[in-house]
Amino acid sequence: MNHDDKAVIEQQVREALKQVIDPEVGINIVDLGLISQIDVGINSVTVAMTMTTPTCPLGEILTDQALEALQVSLAAGTEIEIGLTYDPPWTPERMSEAARKQLGR
Amino acid sequence: MASTTFSTPAARRLRRVPLLALGLIALITGLIGGLNRIGWTVPQPVPDLAYWHGPLMISGFFGTLIGVERAVAYGKPWAYLSPLLNGIGTFALLAGVLMPVPLALPVFAAMIMFAGAVIMARRQPAMFTVTLALGAGAWLIGNALWFHGWPLEVVVPWWIGFLVLIIAGERLELSRLLQHSAESLRLFAAAAGLLVFGLIVVVINDGENLRLVAAGLLALAAWLAHYDIARRTIRQSGFVRFSAVCLLTGYAWLAVAGVIGLVAPLPRPGLAWDAFMHAISLGFVFSMVFAHAPIILPAILAIKVPYHPRFYGHFALLHASVALRLAADAANWETLRAWAGLGNVAALVLFIAVTAHAAASAPSQRRPK
Repeated sequence: MNHDDKAVIEQQVREALKQVIDPEVGINIVDLGLISQIDVGINSVTVAMTMTTPTCPLGEILTDQALEALQVSLAAGTEIEIGLTYDPPWTPERMSEAARKQLGR
Repeated sequence: MASTTFSTPAARRLRRVPLLALGLIALITGLIGGLNRIGWTVPQPVPDLAYWHGPLMISGFFGTLIGVERAVAYGKPWAYLSPLLNGIGTFALLAGVLMPVPLALPVFAAMIMFAGAVIMARRQPAMFTVTLALGAGAWLIGNALWFHGWPLEVVVPWWIGFLVLIIAGERLELSRLLQHSAESLRLFAAAAGLLVFGLIVVVINDGENLRLVAAGLLALAAWLAHYDIARRTIRQSGFVRFSAVCLLTGYAWLAVAGVIGLVAPLPRPGLAWDAFMHAISLGFVFSMVFAHAPIILPAILAIKVPYHPRFYGHFALLHASVALRLAADAANWETLRAWAGLGNVAALVLFIAVTAHAAASAPSQRRPK
């Protein structure tokens, strides 16, 4: 797998993850800056997600929904792993311009 | 990717069901007690439910519910001991287990919640984690006072502090998305500090003076109404909008409670107390529950609760019946208060039915393999 292929899959992963919406604010997890890292391997994708704080009770459900979105979007047989990490911690700067606009900032 | 944790299997989440069931027992018996208290004759499965209405609703139901929600957030297995012990304590109270066991268990439950909150506040020192710890601490003090036989006029304000501080802390946590100024955080600290100071004064004055507590509630309501993200998200549609409408209406009731507490002769048991308590517990807290149930239930039980516009039905019934209840209290009209109280219960029953129906008719309740 060359660099371009990896970039294409990474973009595909981002687009799939944009289907997952934080129910409280109605903004997708990519624009909220909750995706810390995406690692694309041969037939595998590993995603590290974060929450705005470690005390947020939505961690489990959002990782589940992210897994579901990737299972639908990626080629069958792709090994998908999604985990929660708080290192580095989320900061408001990680939000996209679209998210800021949606919040009227 | 150091310290990455992976998702909890669905089977393990099902273990949370008995905890919520314990909370539901407190809710049902608490509501039966409440109806009997305001003049309806509802068969009581356990004697004295009217007397235990407040403890069953606040410490029994909300204590267990918040205990589960906080445990999910902490993600540590031992944190579930809090709702478990609290739920067993409620069950022991209803089963007539010899005192002081039913009053001691909620003290241990609150200790565990407080310990979890303190650990989180140390790990992430921030205004919201400190507020959540203060909320859990207020529950601990309230339960300890109850255990030591202090009158409910002293205990209940601490329980109010528990609910309000936990909710305010969670809202502050979410408002980080808006990057509030240092000044807004100072205002929050002043409002929360006023409430906590008021609670201490209640103990010193033996439950005689609730005005500082009321001022704290009013100040927090004003802060939330002005700074909460709900003011932005109300411009969206569907569930996000519904949730924001519930939140902002709840803040209005919290402000009403604050005003009642400032002008009425609290905490004498009577109509002003009834209006004060139910503006908070029904108007504010249950509105928060309505706003969050379709988010939190999926997080706790891994079930989907899709939004439907009919959610506005239980919302409207709740707030109309709370307004009616406060009007009945103001007019000293007992018959109207009884009907309004029935409306309050009907709103909660409707909420449970509509939520259960939404979950049952969700397109796919199956989880990914």
